[in-house]
Amino acid sequence: MTGLGYTVPALVAVVIVCAMELALLRTGLFRRPAYWLSMLIVLGFQIPVDGWLTKLSSPVVIYDHRQITGLRFPFDIPVEDFLFGFALVTAVLLLWERQRARR
Amino acid sequence: MSDRWQYLLVLAACLVITAPLEMFGPGVYRQGRRLIKSILPVALVFLIWDEIAVAAHVWSYNDAYISGLSVPVRVPIEEVLFFLVIPVCGLLTYNAVSTILGRVKRR
Repeated sequence: MTGLGYTVPALVAVVIVCAMELALLRTGLFRRPAYWLSMLIVLGFQIPVDGWLTKLSSPVVIYDHRQITGLRFPFDIPVEDFLFGFALVTAVLLLWERQRARR
Repeated sequence: MSDRWQYLLVLAACLVITAPLEMFGPGVYRQGRRLIKSILPVALVFLIWDEIAVAAHVWSYNDAYISGLSVPVRVPIEEVLFFLVIPVCGLLTYNAVSTILGRVKRR
């Protein structure tokens, strides 16, 4: 084990994004049902897209097995990718919402 | 056709599939400034993360499935596009869901 170089940053990214909303931006995004429903839909599309990019038979993206937990589900998707995706999409939605609040 | 376009084609498919969602409510592409101000700062942060991960050999890209174009230092152009395309898809979804839920509520 050399250090989960993907797992740790992925967890940190999720914590930072949530902390930014709760402490700084306060857009109320997490209280909107539309947000959670959208994330569910995004998740549904992430599985085929990410599944394609990470399939072990002919991967587009190749992970160093020492830098991830090794949990790959569904298909061959490293579970870290779901944290990465959550942080990426949520961060963008937060900035989008913040611009609504400012108007 | 060469497999080198695989990653780019996946991203193009994401844009094509989500494009009709623009017709809901105020849209996303129609709010160009708000769109750019939402995705660029986040894309920059994730690009830096990507650069570090590639440099540290946390992950790498299969040369067989990428175009070969890259941005400094070593991140393929596909990754840069990923950080723009996926957020746009997410925003289109959120805009559509918000519009539909808003309509339901008003009934």
